Amino acid sequence: MARSVWKGPFVDAYVLKKAEKSRDSGRNEVIKIWSRRSTILPQFVGLTFGVYNGHKHIPVNVTEDMIGQKFGEYSPTRTYYGHAADKKAKRK
Amino acid sequence: MTDLTCVGAIAGSFGVRGEVRLKSFCADPEAIADYAPLTTEDGSRSFTVKITRTIKNGLAARLGGVATKEAADALKGVRLYAPRDRLPSLPDDEFYHADLIGLDVVDTGGTRLGRIRAIFDHGAGDLLEIHGPGLKGGLLLPFTREAVPTVDLAAGRVVADPPPGLIGGEDEPEPGA
Repeated sequence: MARSVWKGPFVDAYVLKKAEKSRDSGRNEVIKIWSRRSTILPQFVGLTFGVYNGHKHIPVNVTEDMIGQKFGEYSPTRTYYGHAADKKAKRK
Repeated sequence: MTDLTCVGAIAGSFGVRGEVRLKSFCADPEAIADYAPLTTEDGSRSFTVKITRTIKNGLAARLGGVATKEAADALKGVRLYAPRDRLPSLPDDEFYHADLIGLDVVDTGGTRLGRIRAIFDHGAGDLLEIHGPGLKGGLLLPFTREAVPTVDLAAGRVVADPPPGLIGGEDEPEPGA
């Protein structure tokens, strides 16, 4: 069910505080969070969050196209290794 | 770096005319035919591959030298390999997973951190999973120029500069818990 527009996006308060603190410090550190339910806001773009998946914190570098999604979408709770074959990784 | 890369496996026969059920491990499943002829792991047999159709959980294909259902059934479980040099060359800053997995990881001071075990992409960029003696449960390192300034395939090593907060701090309590 859709969330009412007048309420605005949901974000846990501590996530906002930690993000603000990290941005003010200017250090590109990993911000450890447990709140998978929080919405990714425009002010998070460029920061790196460590999103907990129940086991460890998965680094998530926030980009513009992630705005509006939840942090949990980028931190899967199950691991599948699969085969390497011809799969490629690009260094950004 | 190994000379052979596993690109697929035979899951059994398909139909009664000697076609096989093929599982492709390639990023684009149908690209498996581009790397033909494919060999078994020991190199004793070689097959040409012609994909006939897409089926549930894989591809139907006709392999060179396999003409009957019995011959196709006998190949069930066989993994198919392609020579590494048959994969197309990549632009700078793009690497095959097969080349990166197994490389040693050292930090900027030269201390060995561990070895790359897997590469993941959960939608927020590629991550290197590094396992080593001092890394409890493994370390996930973003595959960026800042975090991985050097990739030296010839020397078999990667230089890592993990961002602050990535290593350690596991005991930090969850806020509000």
